[in-house]
Amino acid sequence: MKPKQPLFHVVKRDHVSRGQLVLAYVLAVVIAVAVGAVLLTVMGVPFGAFYQKMFTLGLLDNKFAYKNVENFIKLFVPLLITSLALALAFRMRFWNIGGEGQFTLGALCAGAVAMQLGDSLPRIVVLLLMALAGMLGGGLYGVIAAILKVRYGTNETLLTLMFNYMALYLLAFFGETRGAWNFFLDPQSPRPRFMTFPEGAQMLTIPLGKFSLNVSLLVALALCAGIFVYLKYTKQGYEIAVVGDSPNTAKYAGMKVGAIVIRTVFLSAALIGLAGAFCVSSAGVLSTSLTNDVGWTGIIVAWLAKLNVLGILVASALITVLQYGAQAASVTYSSVDANFADLLQGMILFAVLAADFFTRFKLARSAHSGEVAK
Amino acid sequence: MNDTSAASILVLFLFNIIVYNIPLLYGTVGEIITEKAGSLNLGVEGTMAVGAMFGYLAGAWTDNILVGLVVSFLTAALCGLLFAVLTVSLQANQNVTGLTITTFGVGLYFFIGKGVGQNWPTMQQAPGLSAAFGEIHIPVLSDLPVVGKVLFSHNPLVYLGLAIAVLAWWYLSCTRMGLKLRAVGENPGAADSVGVNILLYKYLNLMLGSGIMGLGGFYMALNMSGSFEGSNCWVNGYGWIAIALVIFANWNPLYAILGTVVFGFFNTLQVYAGTLASAFPDGLGWLNAVPPHLFKALPFIITAIVLVVSSIRNREGSGQPAALGLNYFREER
Repeated sequence: MKPKQPLFHVVKRDHVSRGQLVLAYVLAVVIAVAVGAVLLTVMGVPFGAFYQKMFTLGLLDNKFAYKNVENFIKLFVPLLITSLALALAFRMRFWNIGGEGQFTLGALCAGAVAMQLGDSLPRIVVLLLMALAGMLGGGLYGVIAAILKVRYGTNETLLTLMFNYMALYLLAFFGETRGAWNFFLDPQSPRPRFMTFPEGAQMLTIPLGKFSLNVSLLVALALCAGIFVYLKYTKQGYEIAVVGDSPNTAKYAGMKVGAIVIRTVFLSAALIGLAGAFCVSSAGVLSTSLTNDVGWTGIIVAWLAKLNVLGILVASALITVLQYGAQAASVTYSSVDANFADLLQGMILFAVLAADFFTRFKLARSAHSGEVAK
Repeated sequence: MNDTSAASILVLFLFNIIVYNIPLLYGTVGEIITEKAGSLNLGVEGTMAVGAMFGYLAGAWTDNILVGLVVSFLTAALCGLLFAVLTVSLQANQNVTGLTITTFGVGLYFFIGKGVGQNWPTMQQAPGLSAAFGEIHIPVLSDLPVVGKVLFSHNPLVYLGLAIAVLAWWYLSCTRMGLKLRAVGENPGAADSVGVNILLYKYLNLMLGSGIMGLGGFYMALNMSGSFEGSNCWVNGYGWIAIALVIFANWNPLYAILGTVVFGFFNTLQVYAGTLASAFPDGLGWLNAVPPHLFKALPFIITAIVLVVSSIRNREGSGQPAALGLNYFREER
């Protein structure tokens, strides 16, 4: 008896055009927004007006539109840097999902510098030291998982996940425990509360009329360019690509795979720590909810962008628009929660993940066994 | 404080270790089944949130706990189906898909909760549901001192959770289907070549696992008396603890019961530390000096240590499936 053969089978595609890719992604966003419109209608919210408010970020007819843009940038910069950094690790198939923890530690270390030295040194020195402390804090925290992975094969996904919560509770501990030693807290407040940073530890801004441009945005854009060059034109960038493609090839080519993984994960985690430092110095104060989930959202952004630097710039802007816009729109439409952004984000990614299949694989007609014999 | 009331505080503490933390058991057992099929689903938190929201609404509107259970199971199983379609059939990355399910699920939870708004059904409006979630007193056993209260007078969903854990253990360890399932998680290529239907096994078990997680979410909804707040999700991070607990339990549903008690002990201690310290000033007074954050962090610290130690001991006796987190693509077998 002839064995049953499926009509189609799945084979890998070697090539997909850029146009098809962009089309697939645009379609994914459109589908998610359309499903969102249906959901809004079910809830009795006029989706046209809601989306208008959302995608214009509540800027129209707003006397304080410049304030909105400033706040938008404060959300955008940490997400952009974190996504970039995560993409570095993901390119080597190192599943760093510990962004939350590395971000928190970076923020905490930068905060310590701000509280201790903010008054006594020139502002630019304080800010540089904060950035450095953030990078070290985040980097060292992240590299532990890399060393264990390389040395013992410890599952990095699960370990970095645990590290997230350890960092979170450490931050909460500093934020909620009174004591003469705890220089993070405001001694005047009756309830434990983080103290605002001294003036000298707040992020530099460039005044442009009413609007003040956050300098960290410029640094983040420079980082994008830097990482693009790093990945494309340097030896280390090439090593990352080879290790990501096939660790065995890298080994045969004489590369020290372990060292490359450790180095890259340190860089990745250090950049996330830097994002944390920028975030707190822009906010001017620590908070237990300071990460705003960038460690998680960054993974979504990096994946949406297929780990591509330019793509990350676009995707992180899009996701920030969704988040900030949903917040702005939910002020007007109180029956819709700001978490609507999460819903849309999830649906976009589902659609993209599904679309990815059709860009990576194709269905091929199965050959009949008779034809194979010929 | 006199001895009787101090003792009753201790009993209440032990009682609550079980009541507060059984949802962890549901989440963990669901994730164990999922991971035994070779899939790392990081969407536990979102899946539980979906099961919680839909299960509670259905249960409260119909005033029937069974409807709530079925709906929470089915809606959560749909999350599992989504995960299976994306990762098994469409070969999407498991970490990313799982995280997206969490983002999406929690987002959906708040969207629905806030959307229902004024028409929100409270537990008071559902007397049948409240009564069905009430404590049952097992004759004779529940009259025993201390253990009677601590072990034998819980709500029925506590016993359902324990039964599911035992059944899951039996399924994984003692049945032919369980054996094949474990083969799929260890080496799908080999399982495929001896004729195990990988697709079927993955789909069914991912849905079963997610459905069980959803029941845990439903439990949490009832335990919070169904009061919806715009700021805090009922599931409140339990999904993530469950993922840690899977490792702690070494992928064994029976150890998961033990692990639930251990993790639950710390979880509950953080709430009761002050009360216990004042009830037993001589023996437990030091509890006041321990920051509550340490108790919250301990489950994660312990799990991290277990993870590292077991990897150093080179997976000897570890229950972690060899193909965990890897997608199976037949053409690359």
